[in-house]
Amino acid sequence: MSNLINFTIDGKAVTAKKGETILTVARREGIYIPTMCYISKTTPCASCRMCVVEAEGVEGFVLSCNTPPTNGIAITTNTQALENERTNIMKLYDVNHPLECGVCDKSGECDLQNKTLEFNVSKQNFSARDQHRKIENWGLISYDPALCILCEKCVHVCNEVIGDDAIDLQFGGYKSKVIPKNSDTLDCTYCGECIAVCPVGALISTNFKYSANAWELTRVPATCAHCSGGCSLEYETRHTGISSKDNSIYRVKNNFEFSSLCGAGRFGFGFDNKTTKNPDAFARAFDAIVNAKAIRFSSMITNEEALLLQRLKESLGIKLYNEDARKYALFMEAYASISGKKHHSATLEAVKQADAVIVIGSMIATDNPAVRYAMTTAAKHNGAKIIYAHPIEDALMQNTITQFLKYEVGTEEGVLALIAKYLLADCELGSDEKAFFDALDDGYLSAESNIGEEELSLMMKSLMRTKNRVLVVGNDLIAHKEAKNIAKLVAVIEKYSDISVLVVPRDVNTLGVSLTCKLDCDDNSLENVVGYNEKGSFVIASLAGADLATPALNQQEGTFVSIDNRVIPTNAALAFDGYELHDLAKELGVGKQNTIDFTKELPQESGFKALEFDVLENFLAPLGEDVRGYMLDQVEVAMDGSLDELDALPEFNGTIIYNVNPVLQFNAYTNIASQLERDTTLRGSAQFGAAARISDGDQVEISFGDKTFVRTFKQEESLKGTVALNPTFDLEGNMESYRFQKSKIVRVNHE
Amino acid sequence: MSIEQFKNRNVSDDYFLVDIEDYPTDGWGKFKRVVKRTFQGELFVGLWVVLREMIKFDIHTVQYPKEKMPIGPRYRAVHEMKRLWESGTERCIGCGLCEKICISDCIRMETRIDENSRKEVSEYSINLGRCIFCGYCAEVCPELAITHGGRYENASEQRAHFVMYEDMLTPIDMLKAGQQQEFDGFGAITPHEDERVKKTPLAY
Ligand code: SF4
Ligand code: SF4
Ligand code: SF4
Ligand code: SF4
Ligand code: SF4
Ligand code: FES
Repeated sequence: MSNLINFTIDGKAVTAKKGETILTVARREGIYIPTMCYISKTTPCASCRMCVVEAEGVEGFVLSCNTPPTNGIAITTNTQALENERTNIMKLYDVNHPLECGVCDKSGECDLQNKTLEFNVSKQNFSARDQHRKIENWGLISYDPALCILCEKCVHVCNEVIGDDAIDLQFGGYKSKVIPKNSDTLDCTYCGECIAVCPVGALISTNFKYSANAWELTRVPATCAHCSGGCSLEYETRHTGISSKDNSIYRVKNNFEFSSLCGAGRFGFGFDNKTTKNPDAFARAFDAIVNAKAIRFSSMITNEEALLLQRLKESLGIKLYNEDARKYALFMEAYASISGKKHHSATLEAVKQADAVIVIGSMIATDNPAVRYAMTTAAKHNGAKIIYAHPIEDALMQNTITQFLKYEVGTEEGVLALIAKYLLADCELGSDEKAFFDALDDGYLSAESNIGEEELSLMMKSLMRTKNRVLVVGNDLIAHKEAKNIAKLVAVIEKYSDISVLVVPRDVNTLGVSLTCKLDCDDNSLENVVGYNEKGSFVIASLAGADLATPALNQQEGTFVSIDNRVIPTNAALAFDGYELHDLAKELGVGKQNTIDFTKELPQESGFKALEFDVLENFLAPLGEDVRGYMLDQVEVAMDGSLDELDALPEFNGTIIYNVNPVLQFNAYTNIASQLERDTTLRGSAQFGAAARISDGDQVEISFGDKTFVRTFKQEESLKGTVALNPTFDLEGNMESYRFQKSKIVRVNHE
Repeated sequence: MSIEQFKNRNVSDDYFLVDIEDYPTDGWGKFKRVVKRTFQGELFVGLWVVLREMIKFDIHTVQYPKEKMPIGPRYRAVHEMKRLWESGTERCIGCGLCEKICISDCIRMETRIDENSRKEVSEYSINLGRCIFCGYCAEVCPELAITHGGRYENASEQRAHFVMYEDMLTPIDMLKAGQQQEFDGFGAITPHEDERVKKTPLAY
């Protein structure tokens, strides 16, 4: 056990693991050391010096936040000398700090305020020439340099966790401040993490500013309802104002010490539905369901409601449509037929700990920001190699990726086969698999997919000596025509190597729905379909224009299954006055008292546990362990699948668009959230413009499949290649098909 | 300690039982008591006192509502919102502490950022129908902005009865005329506060 270091803190014998610092050990042991600049999820900023301790035999003070202990050393955390040092630091922090706690948004939860009181700094003994400092407005984020204590936390998270690297410290003694990096104004993904970690009121949400105070807001622990990351968050609610009796959400916060949120989670909370009970609409909805042939629903749904729909299906004998979850289920079924396990093996935590990550088939930064942040963390903290395979280069990932494998649109199956062949070259394969790889026509696959031998060898070189490897599988593989065989290839990689797999679900609860419902194939042939948050002949939805209005996800309690295979509870932040799906179910005879009474009945054959909703916790433990809800049990299934020989790879020529959402947008709910930017343009490179004969600013009509819509074309310098990006968050109907689409694009006259 | 101690109600030897006649139990007894009380003439003693004072024209009654008693500075009646003496600006900074501390939850306010990037109170109301005039709001206010005034007439035809910010705010002409009343109660500035304020040392 040479990895363990024994030493003492304040006389208490403690043990450190490799990589731990004195501070982390002290925190684990419940010994208090004050800090101002420390944040657990980044490397130590080491800018405040509040964390000083004394070490026996060492001259002067030691910074506990970035010093690992040595064997047998005796650490003291609370001598008079240390107290004086810390008090002096607080005195310096308070020099000319504006006396505006009375109005400051941070008041009541401000580290500076707390520590100033803790160290009893009641007067200013030093001075510095005060100067005018301009308050900056950077869109969703405002910065007041006068309040900034230059702790550097914001810079560290932006660089090490988010990966935007958008802000920097401008040093200049007393004039130092935070500035946008290499730019006049802030140009970033607006995740708002810098706001969250700022210990004072320097970085603040522009729209929240001065609208409420920390002590007036009620915190409702919930789960983000925008992507499958399952990020924990707290909605903060208060009365709307003097003319309304209703509450509204003022802001969203997170446990920033350990977890992160993207901008959609942080700023896109305004999607609640308002209505009153309308018995007529309810009666019509009842009739519609009784007469319906099928119910089509989206994955923006809790497990409980999904189970409720499944029960409706069983009792009414109707069909259930959800193409997104059905494709996911099919993919996982094929995957399980080789791996023998129902659930994928990796979690976001595994990605964070990884030293190599291979991403394929996803524009991951916008598909699932939580995965992106986990990869950034891995790259910055473990020096992880990030291999990013996709037909389109993503500027957002530039800071993070080690190698970009650009393959041809549609050739995912071939690419994965090649990658698998190289990854498994030294592994003991089964005879079937061995035969499969031996029969692989590398030359053909390389030529078609454009992934050459050199690139693959380079990849193998990067991956050499890496031990914790994760393969991240995106939606392009799940929605692919050959998804089944692709899934099996993924499973083969997992089965024969030490690589763990993360299959990224598209929507909030794609995974939960795929485990809860028996879904039918939706070929759009039926007429009489009730839509639940989806299109249909009768629409029950939490969006405008519905025939029966139901609560949005921030007005419901229930559980989701996150990308980690974790069943996480969410709570209702706002009340809802109308009817919910469950009221209909009660009328139809499958109801219970509350929707959450279904929690304990979630199918155990899919790995759910028979637990009541009310026993599920929803917080992160003091040292950051995720104790929310529970992890799905792994389910063993028969390994009866085998790889199919590859058919010819499809070719995509002409004008191709990629259906992917811009930053901050995911779905119809982010679309109506007032703070989020809504970029509905078709974005493409100059090359694309030339090929499609359109130029920047043109109104173009796009059509593929049975869809036609008009967008403005925006030429973007950062984009390359011949594929344009088409947002889907504002489009009606199921966009679950393969996201690359050959489409017709014609210019339409404006006016 | 035994239960007997509690049963013994002779707390002190100075206590004595009042000699009260037994209540009549039958109809005849009650009739006798009525007759006795009616014709004893005690009624006229009271009437005589009133008549005597009337003749002397020595009347102490306050002619409300034409005149009102002076009210103590600490009396807690309808709230007032104060202005700064020097600039006339409103003292309330919108910190929301009064709203938070209010025991009957009758204060509600809205704040926002104004054109000068300062916090502005855009709406403020107190429901006097619920207010119990406890004074917590005035006590917690860090700016001596909200205080209680002396206006105690609160009759209204509804239970809910609101005062708005503008109604409570010292009118600017009253301030200029020096008629804003300072609150002397708890939390008010002590006399000669100026002399006790220490200046920040300036090196430049
Ligand atoms: S940053 Fe903290 S100490 Fe500074 S004014 Fe705001 S609440 Fe007060
Ligand atoms: S909002 Fe996010 S990306 Fe933008 S500067 Fe802050 S931390 Fe960086
Ligand atoms: S803005 Fe906030 S987080 Fe960033 S350096 Fe200043 S005080 Fe620290
Ligand atoms: S006096 Fe008491 S009850 Fe009335 S508004 Fe103030 S705090 Fe509320
Ligand atoms: S406590 Fe005083 S300053 Fe704060 S909101 Fe109330 S009246 Fe205004
Ligand atoms: S916490 Fe160690 S220097 Fe700030």
